[in-house]
Amino acid sequence: MPIVTVDGTTYEYEGEQKLLQFCLNQGIELPHFCYHPAMSIPANCRQCLVKVGMPKEDRESGEVVRDDEGEPEIQYFPQLQASCTVDLRDGMVVKTHRTSEEVDQAQTDNLEFLLTNHPLDCPICDQAGHCPLQIQSYKYGPEGSRFEFRKVHKPKRVKLGPRVTLDAERCINCTRCTRFTDEVSESNQLTIANRGVKNHPITAPGETFDDPYSMNTIDICPVGALTSADFRFKARIWEMSSTPSITTTNATGANCHYWVRDNQVLRITPRQNMDVNEYWLPDEDRLVYNKFNDNRPPGPHIRRDDARTQSNWEQVYARAASLLGSADPERILFLGSAYATVEDNYLLTQLAEAVGADAPRYLPHVEPGAGDDWLITDDKTPNAAGCERLGIRPVDEELVGSQIKGDEYDLLYVLEDDPVSAGLCTADDLADTDVVLHYYNTTNETLSRATAALPAAMVVETVGTYVNQDGRAQRVRPAKEIQGVNRTLMMEMGTNREDEHGTPFDRWHNDENRINCKPSWEMLPKIAQRYGTDMDYPKGPEQIMDEVQSTMAAFEGATYDAMGLKGVPLEDVEAGEAV
Amino acid sequence: MDTNGMPQSPAGDWRSYERMLLPPIQDLHELNVYEEHGGYDRLRRVLEDDEFAPGDVTDAVKASGLTGRGGAGFPTGIKWTFMPEPDDRPRFIGVNADESEPGTFKDRQVMEYNPHLMLEGILLAGYALHIDTAYVYIRGEYTDWIVHLKKQLQKAYEAGYVGEDIMGSGFTMDIVLHKGAGAYICGEETSLMESLEGKRGYPRYKPPFPAQSGIFGSPTTINNAETLAHVPLIVEQGGEAYSNIGAGDMPGPALYGMSGHVKKPGVYEFPTGMPLTDLIHDVCGGMARDKAMKAFVPGGSSTPPIRAENIDGLTMNDESLGEVGSRTGTFCPLVLDEETDMVSFLRRVAHFYQDETCGQCTPCREGTSWLEKILARIDEGEGRMRDIDLLLELCDNMDGGRTICAFADGAVGPVRATVKRFRDEFAAKCQASVHPVSTDVSAGAESAVAATE
Repeated sequence: MPIVTVDGTTYEYEGEQKLLQFCLNQGIELPHFCYHPAMSIPANCRQCLVKVGMPKEDRESGEVVRDDEGEPEIQYFPQLQASCTVDLRDGMVVKTHRTSEEVDQAQTDNLEFLLTNHPLDCPICDQAGHCPLQIQSYKYGPEGSRFEFRKVHKPKRVKLGPRVTLDAERCINCTRCTRFTDEVSESNQLTIANRGVKNHPITAPGETFDDPYSMNTIDICPVGALTSADFRFKARIWEMSSTPSITTTNATGANCHYWVRDNQVLRITPRQNMDVNEYWLPDEDRLVYNKFNDNRPPGPHIRRDDARTQSNWEQVYARAASLLGSADPERILFLGSAYATVEDNYLLTQLAEAVGADAPRYLPHVEPGAGDDWLITDDKTPNAAGCERLGIRPVDEELVGSQIKGDEYDLLYVLEDDPVSAGLCTADDLADTDVVLHYYNTTNETLSRATAALPAAMVVETVGTYVNQDGRAQRVRPAKEIQGVNRTLMMEMGTNREDEHGTPFDRWHNDENRINCKPSWEMLPKIAQRYGTDMDYPKGPEQIMDEVQSTMAAFEGATYDAMGLKGVPLEDVEAGEAV
Repeated sequence: MDTNGMPQSPAGDWRSYERMLLPPIQDLHELNVYEEHGGYDRLRRVLEDDEFAPGDVTDAVKASGLTGRGGAGFPTGIKWTFMPEPDDRPRFIGVNADESEPGTFKDRQVMEYNPHLMLEGILLAGYALHIDTAYVYIRGEYTDWIVHLKKQLQKAYEAGYVGEDIMGSGFTMDIVLHKGAGAYICGEETSLMESLEGKRGYPRYKPPFPAQSGIFGSPTTINNAETLAHVPLIVEQGGEAYSNIGAGDMPGPALYGMSGHVKKPGVYEFPTGMPLTDLIHDVCGGMARDKAMKAFVPGGSSTPPIRAENIDGLTMNDESLGEVGSRTGTFCPLVLDEETDMVSFLRRVAHFYQDETCGQCTPCREGTSWLEKILARIDEGEGRMRDIDLLLELCDNMDGGRTICAFADGAVGPVRATVKRFRDEFAAKCQASVHPVSTDVSAGAESAVAATE
């Protein structure tokens, strides 16, 4: 196998590789700005310079020249090489800044150049704290600057589009953003204007940067030049906790981080998963963070004589159980949900079975033509595939709609969905029907007809599994706290947030902004017990999922351990098939 | 031969030299006049003569020792041999007529007075390298010459010299004129290709070299416009005979674009290796206003200036100029007289480079602007002595492979040479500055570090 030697350590490699990526893969850090593995290599930041040599070959015989000790004599290229462009070759010898003073000095010199016209407004810059320029300047940069002139002034606060704001002075012209729109999103909306120190990215005159993936440029910008119009100046990076999870805006199941401060989700950023969303996240997945904070329910309530009254959990469980017990099982409709987790839907299926009603159905939320064959799908729910695999089929909307209108049901049990706004029926159609509703937001239009309303935890507050359109099972973790004590959630909070206990600025343990809601996997067993059926999962969703994967072939292998951070692909088998 | 007792220069008896690139023929730019004087005969000979295989043209160019006239002076024949064997990919020749080096104005004379010679050269090169498309990338500011060349190209098309099945030989070649948009950097070959492809003129890193992956990713050769005009001459005379003209290391005729403080500036055609003193005093009629000379910039602003007292015995070829740390560049010398303020001169040169850097690579983008700022400060009498060493240190941090293309090397070359060779002038301005500092601050390597002022 061909070998390459970096700083005296010899590595084997396979195939064609670029030196910089190879070093990064080996955990050898090399400073760089413009290089991004998903895009073409411009080699323009000139930060990743290294010294490269090859064994010297005798010109006539072509054999490697060896020194007295039999070691090959190394002939170094006279000039330093940008490692991002260097193709690995067998026998190559590389000196990084760790072993070569020349390289170390060149990297320092380059950072001095980079900083000459950079505003150094880190104290007010959104990027500070996770800024490649800031971090690498501290590590490799000069101690001071010899630049004694006025820095160049360029446009600031430029609204490139509805979601991205540019501060051109901070730009170091790495061209990552322009390459993103050219090569990845292919909208070609950004270009570099002007020459030399005056250049910066911009849209064509009159053009708006409204690319549905525009906010990815914010993530890949190695400085604070591109900032989120929505998030800028809202929070510092060190005030927030981040939790690895997935987005639920559509059926892609894009991997993301939820950034939370004081139990409020402030932004959503992509998390690398080469099997799902690679490095990217569509804008529509990011801008939904408000639904986790706003219009959240004050707590459970019960409707009596057309008046909704605030209640407590015990009462609402009892009410739901008594509704189930008093209704004719054949006149109960269970609605599962493509918004809810596999675990919640599974428990609902069990409850329906215990009651003796028909198996639950789910409401599809598909907008034909909304998808783009990339990360945005027509299906606007995260777990339709999970429902299908559980044997939950979509409702026949026309038939069921007319049945509800014709008062053929006494009780509607709705799990985390909204049949009224989905158009299945109107609120008036439900006038003579009892409704048990697990819901997220007070904007839920079915809520006004709910006999028993149970606020449910959202994806950022729960633990559970979603199956994306490609049959990949991925689990989510709580990013923020809810009211009440739930050991499972507390354990997950403590072990899965990247900072484990929240930052000192993130008062997640405070009651403020904690929502009085519960995950459906906690509520359904309680209701089932009160109804009189035995449903008990003391270890919570992990135990539920373990049962699901061990009994249903469609979920085989989807344990929490196996899913980890990247999920597992599920076998394509008929729903309902036993293991 | 009247050599006035002087040692013979490589240019030999240049006084009796007969012009070949721009011969003194009225209306030579017209196709019929060009034809009367043997125009396109060389192409016909090569196309019709079965003995003349494409490889033979390349061999002749190799034997001639022709070097590129765009400034870098790379041997043209060797560059041509870099082209891979023809495969199913298209192949291109890029003709670099983006002449924008300050002080350089010789390509446009070829385009104006002998455009068909250049076109014939392009066709010969196309034949030699199995290329059927040539892009002539002309500097956007050369509006008149673009119109002019377009007209002449049209006539050549009509006469069947360019296009399908040229002269019934089965050889087909198209020549496309492409107007640049006014960027010096687009004269750099890889950036020229990017610009041709409709992209921003950012140089590409090499490898891959243009011969492997050039215009639209296809094998490409880029040659200077004047260089290609030499090719018909080589085919006519044979490589051997051509190589005996002028200096041995870069033979052939050359267009000397003389400018600056001389009595008769202009473009003159002589063999390479002209003695500098002959160029100034005999060709250009001496120094303007009969002042003494201070500096000689041999070929465009990016070639290092030579102090006047060092030019005796030097000739216009790289071997000779290399002895004093300079090079021929584009063969367009700029002569500066004793009244020139070298700080001011260098500031202007630095301004050009900071304005023209594409801004892609960090050291070049930031460095050129920093250099200009320091030079402006010294020029305005506010310089510090440590600025002089800082200038030199920044030069070291910018060139020698720190950037993708050779622009940074071109930008720091004159700065380094001028500061080193005319350091007294820089020091004098710094000392007279409003921030007087002791001269020994600038003594050692540490002097560029901010001192206690």
